[in-house]
Formats: sequence, structure tokens, C-alpha cells
Amino acid sequence: MSERVTIGPFHPELEESVYFKLSANDDKVVTHVDLINGFIHRGMESLVTQKNFMQNLILTERVCSLCSNNHPFAYALAVEKIAGVKVPRRAEALRVVADEVKRAASNLFNLAMLAHLIHHHDLMKETMETRELMQDLKEIIWGNRMDMSANTLTGVKYDLDDEKIDLILKTLETFTPKLASLTEQYEHDEKVVARTVGIGVLPKADALRLGVTGPVARGSGINNDVRVKAPYALYDELKPKVTLRDAGDVHARAMCRLGDITEAVRMIKEVVKNLPEGEIALAKRPHIPAGEATVRVEAPRGELIYYLKTDGTQKPVRMRWKVPTYTNWEALKVMILGSKVSDVTLILNSIDPCISCTER
Amino acid sequence: MNKIHAMTEPLQASLQYAYTLTEDSDNYGNPVLWLKLEDKRDLLNAARVVANLGGRCVTATAYKTEEGHTLIYHLDIDGILLNIEAYTTDHTIDAITPLLPSADWAEREFREMYGIEPVGHPNNERLFLDESLMKGVLNRYIPLSKMMLGVSESDILWERVEKEKRA
Amino acid sequence: MEQTVKPRLFRINTGSCNGCDVEFVATAFVPKFHLDQLGVELVDRIEDANILVITGPMTARSQAFFEEAVSKVKPPYVVVGVGTCSVTTGIFRDSYAIYGPLDKYIDVDVNVAGCPPRPQAIAEAIAQGVKILQSKLLDQPMPTKLETIFTDFEAPESYRGRISLDAQKCTACRTCETVCPSGAIKITKTLEGYEHTIWHNTCCFCGNCSYYCPTGAIFTTNDFHTIQRQEEKYTDTHVALIPFHECEDCGKNFIPATEALIHRSYPKEEVPEMLTKSCPECRKRTTFERCYR
Ligand code: SF4
Ligand code: SF4
Ligand code: SF4
Repeated sequence: MSERVTIGPFHPELEESVYFKLSANDDKVVTHVDLINGFIHRGMESLVTQKNFMQNLILTERVCSLCSNNHPFAYALAVEKIAGVKVPRRAEALRVVADEVKRAASNLFNLAMLAHLIHHHDLMKETMETRELMQDLKEIIWGNRMDMSANTLTGVKYDLDDEKIDLILKTLETFTPKLASLTEQYEHDEKVVARTVGIGVLPKADALRLGVTGPVARGSGINNDVRVKAPYALYDELKPKVTLRDAGDVHARAMCRLGDITEAVRMIKEVVKNLPEGEIALAKRPHIPAGEATVRVEAPRGELIYYLKTDGTQKPVRMRWKVPTYTNWEALKVMILGSKVSDVTLILNSIDPCISCTER
Repeated sequence: MNKIHAMTEPLQASLQYAYTLTEDSDNYGNPVLWLKLEDKRDLLNAARVVANLGGRCVTATAYKTEEGHTLIYHLDIDGILLNIEAYTTDHTIDAITPLLPSADWAEREFREMYGIEPVGHPNNERLFLDESLMKGVLNRYIPLSKMMLGVSESDILWERVEKEKRA
Repeated sequence: MEQTVKPRLFRINTGSCNGCDVEFVATAFVPKFHLDQLGVELVDRIEDANILVITGPMTARSQAFFEEAVSKVKPPYVVVGVGTCSVTTGIFRDSYAIYGPLDKYIDVDVNVAGCPPRPQAIAEAIAQGVKILQSKLLDQPMPTKLETIFTDFEAPESYRGRISLDAQKCTACRTCETVCPSGAIKITKTLEGYEHTIWHNTCCFCGNCSYYCPTGAIFTTNDFHTIQRQEEKYTDTHVALIPFHECEDCGKNFIPATEALIHRSYPKEEVPEMLTKSCPECRKRTTFERCYR
């Protein structure tokens, strides 16, 4: 006897609306997966061609609020490539700071959801409260807890003075021991281990075949981090050390994310302590001629690519972007098949799905 | 650079029709290659080389032109970005998904957004678009309400604001 | 707060960027946002809910599922629209895939604009929702004004909240209107001058306007109290008149450069008096005559 199970589209354990149709056998093991998408499709690729280059700085930020800094960042890189301008070094540094703060907060949110899904409430609360340190920082420095509005064409909109640098360093000082404790717990806590080790395995061969990126790739032993493979901003000098794991399970992916946060802390510290002098953006607004460009950045979930085509007017002719979840999503089928129905939302969470990003 | 050469050589050898290959880089010196195919039949040849080199399809972009559609496949081979451009005037292209499974969604997406059929694609299901939306929505750029009523949602909402202001 | 029935909350995402949903989770699980004080229970099934928290601009695909889902909720219940998207579809408006705003499909009680609203504002909105629910249950009249329930929330100076305008500095140059991604600013010509309107309920609080404004006339405040009754949806605006001046030479109406702008163009030098007294055309003519006569 096979049982049909549907999850979604509106489900309290899902941040975003997705719709699963599963078949399961008597042992509640999934034998067939059907995923229905499109609930978050907002027609954004069409919208960006209706808006001018300044408006699109903000619209791209609203693709998804968890990697909301990466979108305008990549978008700005594409415009800057077409305009042929070089961003001041101080701006590059400030872009890294904003991005890594965001990465830390985003990864912590995903980990908190993991703890939530395995009903480990203390761990969830602890993770959320640790994340609050980053949230408060974002609100004080950038003015919003999710959408930082940090980037502008040819630079950034914000600057750091000594007082703010001090605030960042102090925050990181409080943050670091908390992160260490979280890392320890996610690695060894009995409850976590019992529910995540060996669950939702993505073998390396499948990971390669499906072209997954980010912590999903790294959890299966593949490093295609853009910050390493095609470094941008100051990443060439900062040399991020990425965490690689071989197990390919929910646990491995979680540990890769924690490793990313540790690196984020290191890099933020390094950058704010040695902030280059200079402008935060070019004084002159760039002239954007006809042209096309493809650029890539590493979002918290993996590789983000932007393609931009312009014709010399104030609006893009075509803009397209592809987010990590777009390719990581197909890997879900591999992970879910053969798993218990009760693990499905946990496995879904382990790719840190960003559906708003994917469906645009 | 050897790494680039190791890519471009087999790539060029595989192509049967005219093409242009340009080497560019991003603002940080990372190589970006642009291959423009004169004939879309060369797409599979190029994709096969990428597959042999262990590359993956990052995504694909489509847009409408006067005569038909331009398609750009964005591929990655160990950190090097390769953009392959082809055009179609008959709403079809040979699917590369059988060679590069990572292209699965990208090809399905231009099918539903632009009505271009990736011939030989193993999956026929809709990706994002609700059934209430016609396939090929991106071929036109205005929302339905604007097309049918001649006014946009913005016009309607702001009219209310103006009315309340005068009230 | 005295309660007759336990508030049971269910959240629906109608196609949000997930910002509002992530912040909802923070609101629900981080104690400093006080949600626990309301005794709200998060329920697993929509059938059991009496408070619906709804985010997102209502995408085409969400709509049918949404209507099906909410048909199962038994009145009385309260609907809280969270985020600019839900109130007016905000930045996503006029896309082919957006069928919202929310109030086309359900009667909304409380709105909270923000992009995303901070958890303090979401908590306040839910608190208002709980209060309205009690009124509905007891068949009491609905409040006509919302009194802030959580009065101890503060916002940092730099928080990007409600936008404001210093009309004295504004030259009605329309830069803010052009760069605003959500269509929250409208500048219209009237008999007396230009009317500058900011509609907070469709603002995404991005600060683009203040960043690009050449005179510093438009600015963000840290006011995050955007919680409102549905009735106030279209009236929460900031309206200012930028009056015309009569040109001393030809008598035509014009908007003079404001002091703020003049200071940027003439940081050190003496300011030519003509700038505030004559219209641009007369100025051009005067200058021309001076040079070539
Ligand atoms: S209101 Fe803003 S943060 Fe909330 S869902 Fe909409 S775009 Fe995202
Ligand atoms: S607020 Fe600033 S940008 Fe807007 S019209 Fe006035 S001067 Fe121009
Ligand atoms: S902050 Fe300014 S630019 Fe941004 S949406 Fe609001 S009014 Fe528009």
C-alpha cells in the first residue's frame, strides 16, 4: 500500500510556500517526490526592465531578503563592468563587510530552523539570540535588519567611522564565544546528531551531475565557492577558507554553514581593522552604455550569477539572474527519495532553500 | 593561460559552423569567454565538450529579438565562465540537458517564459508559471490588467490616495 | 490584557521575498519582542486559527490556494497584513504575476507597512490584532484609533522608518520620484505650486529618495510605528506644497532654487540674488544681455 502525502503550500514549518506531493510506503519511506513551484514567482525579470538603474538597486534587494545584499552587489558589479568603472578600494572593503555580516545572519537563521524542526527548542532559541547580535548590528549601521541598502552603483551608500568600527569589533567579541558554543552543539549534540547524520544524503557524483553550489556542494565534498574560484572585491587577498565535508548529509551541510560564519567573523575583523582610506563611491554617476556582462558572487547559499544587457537607455534591456537554490532544488529529489516522510521538511531546510530567489 | 587554452582548443575543434570566440574578464581579472554561434546546430557540439571537461550549466538567458530569440547559456568549467550565444527563429533549440543535467531548469524556464522548445528535454512540466498565466509571458512586457483595462494597479491605488486627500 | 479566548495564529505567505516571514519567526521566538506576553499560540492547521498573519503581494499561483485555505477559517477572526507587499503590493506592483494587494481577497483588520517591518512593529500589529479579536468576540465596537500597546520599544537613530520632507528645501526636481522603486512618491502640479506626496503604505523604506535627493529635503526618520487600521490605508500620507514664486521680471510662476541647493552649487562664493527672484528664462536672458551688450 502506498500512501500519498501532501505538504504545503501554506505550512507553518515552511518559511515560504512550496507544495510537495509525496508517495510513501508502509514504512513511511518516500518512494516518489513531486515538487510544485511557482508560489513566489513575481515576474521580477520583467519588472526590472520596467525600472531604471537606480530603482533596480532596491528591487534586486527584494528578490530575497536572506541574501538581499548579494543581489544588488552582483547587479552593481554587472553595471560597473558595462560602464567600465573601477570601484574605490574602500568601497570594495565595505562591500565585503556588509556581505559577510549578512552571510553570518543568514546561515544562523537556517541553523535555527534546523533546531526548530528537530524540536530542539533551547538550541533554536540560542541560535536565534546569537543571530540577534548581527540583526542589531545591521539595524544600527545600515538601518534595517534585513535589507541593508548597502550598495550603490560604483560603491556603497554607507561608511564606517571609528565608533562604528568599534561597535562591530565589540559585537564580534560577544559573538565569537557564542558561535563556538553553537558549533560544538551542532557538531556533537545527541539530538542533532541523531536527527541529521546520515539523513538526506547527496552523493558527490550526484552533486557534480546536478551542478549544485554553496554549502550543499561543500557538504558533498565539492568546492566551487566563487570567492575562491573567481574572487571579486577583496576576496583574492582575504582568501576565505571554506569548510568541506564528505558525508553529504543534513549534518554536513549545517557544519559547512557554521564554518562559513567563523570565516565571516575573521574576514570582517580583518577588513574593518585595515579599512583602506578613500571614497566610498565614485563622485560621478556612471554613464551606462550599450553592452552586456555576466558576473558572479557567492551568496550564503552558493553561486549567484547576474546577466545584464543594456542599450544605453536608463533601463536594462534584459536582466537575468540565477540563484543557488535553482540548481540545488533538483538535488532535493535525490536527498528525499528513500527518506522518512517525517524528515522531508528537515531535508528541505538543509539546502537552505530560498524559494523567492529561485522563482523571482 | 593554459587553463583557458585547454578549454578553447577542443571547443573550437568541435564546431562545424562559423562562430566568434572572445576572451574577456570581469573587473577583477577572472576570465569570461563569449562564444557566439552562427548556427544553433553547433550548440550540442559545444555542450558535449563542456560536459567532457567536467563543466556545468549555471543557467541560460533568453531574450526576444526582431527575428526570433537569442539564447545565452552560461557555463562554468572550474571557475571559468563560458557564455555560449545562439539564436533561433523557429522557437526551437536542441536541449543540452541530456548532456548537462544541470541545464534542466534553465531550459524549462525559457520554454515557459518565451515559448522556446528545448527539443529532446526529458521533462515537460511547468516550472513556475501558474496555469492562469499564458506561456511566453516574457515576450510581452506589460501586465495583464494594464493590457485589459488600460490602467495599472498603481493608477488604481493612487487614485484612491488622491481621492482621500481631497476628502 | 484580559482575554476571553486564546489567540491562535496562523501565518500565510502569499509570495513574499521571505523578509517578512523571517522577521515573523524572529518576532515569535526571540523573547525581547514580547510576543509571549500576548499568550498567542502558533497553530499547525489554519482551521484552528483566529488570527491570520499574511505576508506577500499575492502571486498568481498563490491566489487560488489562498482563497481555498482561508475559506476554512471560522469567524470571528482577525487579519493582520504584514509588510508593504501585503498592504499595497509595494515594490512588486504592476508585474504580470502579482494579483494583490491582499484586501482584494479578504477583509483586513490591521496593516503594518515596512520592508520588512521590524519585529517590534510586527509584535505591535499582532497585539492590536489580538485586541480587535476580543472586540469582535464580545461584539464591541471596533477601535477607531490604535493606541500603542508596547510602549517600551525604541529604535536606533539610524533606523530607516517613515520618510519625511522638509518642504523649505525641496525644489520639486522629481529626483526622488524617479529613483523611488515602489512608486511611493508623486509630485503633481497644482495652481499654487507642486504638491509632493509620500504614501507610506507603499514605501519600502529603502532610503533611495534621501540618498539621491540633491538638496537633502527628503529624509528618513526612525519612526517605525506604521501599524494601522485598514481604514487608514489610503490616508497615511505626507503631503507638502512647494509653492511657486512669481518672477520679478516677467511675472511667470517658477520654483526657485532652495538655499540647500544653492549652498551646494556655491559653497564659498556669494550667492547671486537673481537665483531666488527671477525665473530660469529671465535669468538666462539677463546673463546673456550682460555678457553681450
Ligand atoms: S514587504 Fe518587503 S520584506 Fe516584506 S515580503 Fe515584501 S518585499 Fe519582502
Ligand atoms: S525631495 Fe529632493 S529629490 Fe524630491 S523633489 Fe524635492 S528636492 Fe527633488
Ligand atoms: S524610502 Fe523613499 S525611495 Fe524608498 S520606497 Fe520609500 S519613498 Fe520610495
